[in-house]
Amino acid sequence: MSHRCENAMRSHTLIFRHDGSWPSGARCGVSAILFAVGNLLRVFALAAGVSAFLALQAVGQPASRQEAPPAETAPQQAPAPQAPSPPPAPSGPLIVLDPAHGGTDTGARGEAGMVEKDIVLQIARTVRAELERRGFRVVMTRNDDSNPSYDDRAAVANAYRDAIFISLHVSSTGTVGSVRAYYDQFDTLIPPAVVAASEKPKSQPLQTAGLTVWEDAQRPYAGTSHHLADLMQIEVAEHFPGSPDTSVGVAVRALRSVAGPAVAIELSSVAAPNLNSLTGSAAPLAAAVARAVAASRASSSGAR
Amino acid sequence: MPRKWKIAIGILAVAVLIGLISLRSLHRRMVRLAETQAAEEQARHEVLAAPISTPTDVTAKAKIFWAAGPDQIAPVEIELPLSADPVQRSRQLLHALIVSPPTPGQRTIPADAELLAFYILPDGTAVADFSDALSVETPSGILSEEMAVNSIAGTLASNVPGLRRLKILIHGQEVETLAGNVDLTGFFDLNPATQQASAAAH
Repeated sequence: MSHRCENAMRSHTLIFRHDGSWPSGARCGVSAILFAVGNLLRVFALAAGVSAFLALQAVGQPASRQEAPPAETAPQQAPAPQAPSPPPAPSGPLIVLDPAHGGTDTGARGEAGMVEKDIVLQIARTVRAELERRGFRVVMTRNDDSNPSYDDRAAVANAYRDAIFISLHVSSTGTVGSVRAYYDQFDTLIPPAVVAASEKPKSQPLQTAGLTVWEDAQRPYAGTSHHLADLMQIEVAEHFPGSPDTSVGVAVRALRSVAGPAVAIELSSVAAPNLNSLTGSAAPLAAAVARAVAASRASSSGAR
Repeated sequence: MPRKWKIAIGILAVAVLIGLISLRSLHRRMVRLAETQAAEEQARHEVLAAPISTPTDVTAKAKIFWAAGPDQIAPVEIELPLSADPVQRSRQLLHALIVSPPTPGQRTIPADAELLAFYILPDGTAVADFSDALSVETPSGILSEEMAVNSIAGTLASNVPGLRRLKILIHGQEVETLAGNVDLTGFFDLNPATQQASAAAH
């Protein structure tokens, strides 16, 4: 390799002779071209980096700091292209509807072939439409035959501030046509180490260095959830004969990790004579939920 | 058709035939193995299971919580030979709960469920280890699972003094839920007053 070529490569520049011919030696020429291409790519990469930085500065806030928009509500927020006046965007409280089970987890199975996972999905869709019509914002934890984990379902609710989590179920037993509201019964879930080590009242959340334990996230909201479940039970008892008058506290796994008011509503049952008798209860159920949520908010704002 | 193709097809046909024959044989062997394992497990249970009858047995009245309709449980008073030992007494009670419901409609625990082990910790925690059938055969649903758990807890709370709380295991392991809804990772209160209130809530 000639001395001139080495110098050229060392300086990472392509140098032609004054007379326009290549430097002496074919190897030096190829290497020089490679260096030139490499330099060009570096310049492009630098320019792209500077452009990206400037673009981010122009936007002002990084995308990661923005609250993720609810995928479930995005379609309805888009205005209709030909509508003269788009309907007002729902601005009421956010309700997270959780159709229980899904996928390979069928839930309760009736002798006539009805399975809980399909029924609750149908009911949830109807309840969602009815609640949105009443001005509530609604997000569903699943809208197909998937089976999110309990934590994934709770995470949907926990991603929002002030969301109300409602898990929908259909039972295997119970008086057909009756409806029950459940809140998470936490008193039975305190692990022995906590019982032994802590003298705190049971209503206080378990905390570790200022963080709420995920598995215990519902505990601070036990009272609110109980109140909401009672209100819902009162509402459904008026429309669904055979329903009890008060809600019941049970260790429902689906509610345990929800950091907000959370109730489970269970319709009885998969032994119903036909599917319509269950799905037909969705509209009155939605009305009862709406009234209970409104009453809950009214009582909580009155308490302040 | 060339001769080499005929030979190849012939070899393949023979291989498929041998595969089918060996597959059937393999299937039969697997079935036999499963049957043997089940029989061995049953025999092991019979050997290891403590006898339900004990020398300290005294026939006494016991309250067993069975279903009283499609959505509630209630205590039924029956006479049982009960041991003075709390562990044996608990085993006898849970055995009666599983095998002796007055009617099939009053059953809260699947008939195939079996109490594999039962012990009581010094702090009053009762640990009941059931076979897989409890989890697999209990109908899914908050109400049905709640009735199953409450019938166990109520029966123990009403008849075995000194118990504070109940932990339910399935085949020696902690499981997340009983049949998809009721959380089994925690403990259930065995305060008799709580159990009465729970039964009355339905």
